[in-house]
Amino acid sequence: MPTEQYAYEMSIRETLPLMGVEIVDLPGFSCCGEPLKSINQMLTLHMSARNLSIADREGIDLLVPCPMCHLALSEAKNILDGNGEMKKRINAKLREEGLEYIGKQRLFHIIDLVHDEIGLDTIRERVKKTLPDLNMAAHYGCHILRPSEMGRPVDSENPRKMEAILLSLGVRSEDYAEKLDCCGGPLLPNHPETSLAKTGQKLHAVSEQGFDGMVLACPWCQKMFDSKQTKAAESVGSRAHVPVLYLTQLMGLAFGIDDAKLGLNLNLSPVDDLGLKGEVE
Amino acid sequence: MERIGVFVCHCGINISSMVDVESIVERVRELDGVVEAKSYKYMCSDRGAQIIKKSIEEKGIDGAVIACCSPRMHEPTFRGVAEDGGMNPFTVEIANIREQCSWAHDSRERSTEKAMKLVMSSVAKARLLEPLERGRTPVIPNALVIGGGIAGIQASLDLANEGFRVYLVEKDPSIGGRMAQLDKTFPTLDCSSCILTPKMMEVYHHPNIDLMTYSEVLSIEGSIGDYRVKVRRKPRYVDVDRCTGCGDCVTACRMRDRIPDEFNMGLSNRSAIYIQFPQAIPLEAVMDSETCLFHRFGKCGDGPLCVEACEAEAIDFEQKEEVAELNVGAIVVATGYDLLDPASLHEYGYSRSKNVITTLELERLISSSGPTKGEVRLPSSGERPRSVTMIMCVGSRDETQCSWCCRIGCMTALKQVILLRENLGEEVEINILHTDIKSFGKGYEEFYRNVRAENTNFFRGRPSEVRIRNEDIRIDIFDTITNKLFEIRTDMVVLVPAVVPRADSGEFARMMNLSRSGDGFLLEAHLKLKPMDTFVNGIFIAGCCQGPKDITDTVAQASGAASRAAGILSKKELENDPLIAVVDADLCSGCRICISLCPYSAIEPVVETMAGEEVVHAEINEVLCQGCGACVAACPSGAINQMGFKDNQILAMIGVLNDCSDAGGLK
Repeated sequence: MPTEQYAYEMSIRETLPLMGVEIVDLPGFSCCGEPLKSINQMLTLHMSARNLSIADREGIDLLVPCPMCHLALSEAKNILDGNGEMKKRINAKLREEGLEYIGKQRLFHIIDLVHDEIGLDTIRERVKKTLPDLNMAAHYGCHILRPSEMGRPVDSENPRKMEAILLSLGVRSEDYAEKLDCCGGPLLPNHPETSLAKTGQKLHAVSEQGFDGMVLACPWCQKMFDSKQTKAAESVGSRAHVPVLYLTQLMGLAFGIDDAKLGLNLNLSPVDDLGLKGEVE
Repeated sequence: MERIGVFVCHCGINISSMVDVESIVERVRELDGVVEAKSYKYMCSDRGAQIIKKSIEEKGIDGAVIACCSPRMHEPTFRGVAEDGGMNPFTVEIANIREQCSWAHDSRERSTEKAMKLVMSSVAKARLLEPLERGRTPVIPNALVIGGGIAGIQASLDLANEGFRVYLVEKDPSIGGRMAQLDKTFPTLDCSSCILTPKMMEVYHHPNIDLMTYSEVLSIEGSIGDYRVKVRRKPRYVDVDRCTGCGDCVTACRMRDRIPDEFNMGLSNRSAIYIQFPQAIPLEAVMDSETCLFHRFGKCGDGPLCVEACEAEAIDFEQKEEVAELNVGAIVVATGYDLLDPASLHEYGYSRSKNVITTLELERLISSSGPTKGEVRLPSSGERPRSVTMIMCVGSRDETQCSWCCRIGCMTALKQVILLRENLGEEVEINILHTDIKSFGKGYEEFYRNVRAENTNFFRGRPSEVRIRNEDIRIDIFDTITNKLFEIRTDMVVLVPAVVPRADSGEFARMMNLSRSGDGFLLEAHLKLKPMDTFVNGIFIAGCCQGPKDITDTVAQASGAASRAAGILSKKELENDPLIAVVDADLCSGCRICISLCPYSAIEPVVETMAGEEVVHAEINEVLCQGCGACVAACPSGAINQMGFKDNQILAMIGVLNDCSDAGGLK
């Protein structure tokens, strides 16, 4: 997870304990390896497997809030569980650190952890504050949708879990045609104009359809829609005024957590317009 | 057998160039039980046959070993010769010294040695062979055809015209099937009903056809030549002898225009009592008891309006379900197909917009008897679409859905381009998003060329998504020919869904004891050479129940299946090959391993009471058994023997081949 996205981490650390999830920081856990994939696939696999084997050693299930890291670890799990020869090779490398990949620990993203494990009933019980009547556009982010054969946390063509979570927080989330569109993030280093155009197009579509804002669960997408909002909108000749926040931030607000603890001041988009701050009713 | 003749063939020079035929003849003469040994240049010729027959007559041989080519070639020939000459045909043994000896080796000396061993081992087996008799089964000269679509109609007519009695069972109120739903057919643009209705009428009036509509096959017993079938006849609640098909009851019904019409793919509504479509055969009303108010609540206003309206007094609420029992010699299965429900592909928007429809729905919109009387209109607003986009291969050739090609989609879409232009004028924009265009049949490529020449936009690729915002539909398509991403705005999307096995085909196949291929369609006995046969003797398949196909191929396969069935029905009795498996009930432990293995479902468990205890043993139906030997090899108790391949016979052969010093019992 990119370290600049404090707000995501802050809001996760605030909300999950309220729903009975204990967060443990695994010693020695590192980068998932995905950023190196175009240079050295074996190294990426090694790094992912190393992280997975730390979870095996500690006997703790993994919560991977960044969809890209989640995909890297899922992909590694998929390769190691399906290819005995590769598992042997990787385990030979891991042995130098006294680790071994077994693959018995489960892998969660925020969305499936909340929707499938914690359950919507628990969320409804935790809600302390009636949020204003909002219609928020759900944005999932490509990496937790596809490739479906890796076993992703949500359906690749018709994901509904985020909407269900929002509804249990008392927030509406209507379907929209551009829901599955990419944020443009992956193109940023090599094709910045195209990348910003993708971001701008989606922001434009969201405001055109009268949504109050966007909710997402990916730090990369957040970076595009939130931090680069003004530039992105300009690149498609439009002006955007779309509040963008993390699902866990919205959850925290509904649970009555102080917005400063959720890092709401770190969001660059006009989140104040949503009227979410204020006392618990 | 005790008096064995050995006949060695030169096969021109095919055998004699590599095997010293004469030395074999000289040597086998010395073997126990051999009373005659001869060679000839072509044993399979008429002259060769004379040599064998003469030996039967003069030397009185009762067993024969023919050393020649593979038994696949001439075993039937030599069995026939033996039978002609007055010998039991099943005491003939073939020693294959061509494919398995002379053709395969290049040393004359060693080939001769090998041929010698092969012949001697065959002689050892021939000593132990037993004369066998063919069983006989009488044939019931009636046929059952299941499914009243174009395949079932064609098969029924062919069989009935040959003079056989045909029971045609159709589950819907009318015959006609999918073809009746179509407006026009490719590539000739014949009006579908115009070419189908005469055939439906012919079925209805044919003296040899018993038409059983609104009926379903319940169970099947017996085997080739003598099947006993139970058919459930659902009550129509209409006296078919009185009903004139006037339709007064349909107009009168209180549920009028309130029930989705299946024939129009739910695009219009019908009454609870209805006539399936204007050309329905039989043209009689049928009452749907699940939606009829009188059936559901026991009352319908002051009284059922249909009864009031019917001048012929044909409405009969008292009708009960009946079960008919049929006795037939052969069965043609023509149960057809379903179309994939495109809702399973969320990205194409079928469940999100009324203006995303399937080809079959468009066919109903185009049809003059359809919900819009032949005017193509947007289902959402009733307006004329200005732009129509067709998406091919929806679920077809897609490993997440159906891996196979639907074989009718491309041509259906191309045909509908022509029909849409007729209907909406030249100004309508038509986009075709295709994977490949498969225009494989006679006249199809020419048809495609014509459509291509018209003002139609072809994109090669699969759209990633159909985006729907109220009435606005946009499609992202990456065209792999120009390598460009396009966004298409369109008013109506027509999906070409995959052809899939009928929803109940698993249950149906189990009931009929038929196998299915991996895709779920019914399995043919051989894809290339026995496409209408199944693994159950006497049951044939035709049309899309075997796999997707167009009307041309369906009709051809139906006539083929009918002709295969007629081949059985035209015989008074069937001869059964006696080379089958036989169970020794005393040795059988009743473990049922053989039952699960038998590909022909020829083995059944039989319960008997022995010394006050119930014991189970396997019994083989000699008509169904094909003599494949699977059960023989699998039986853990060694209780099953294959006639003509008994253990002692095979062991005698192995004994000779194993032990050269013994030389197979040389005197």
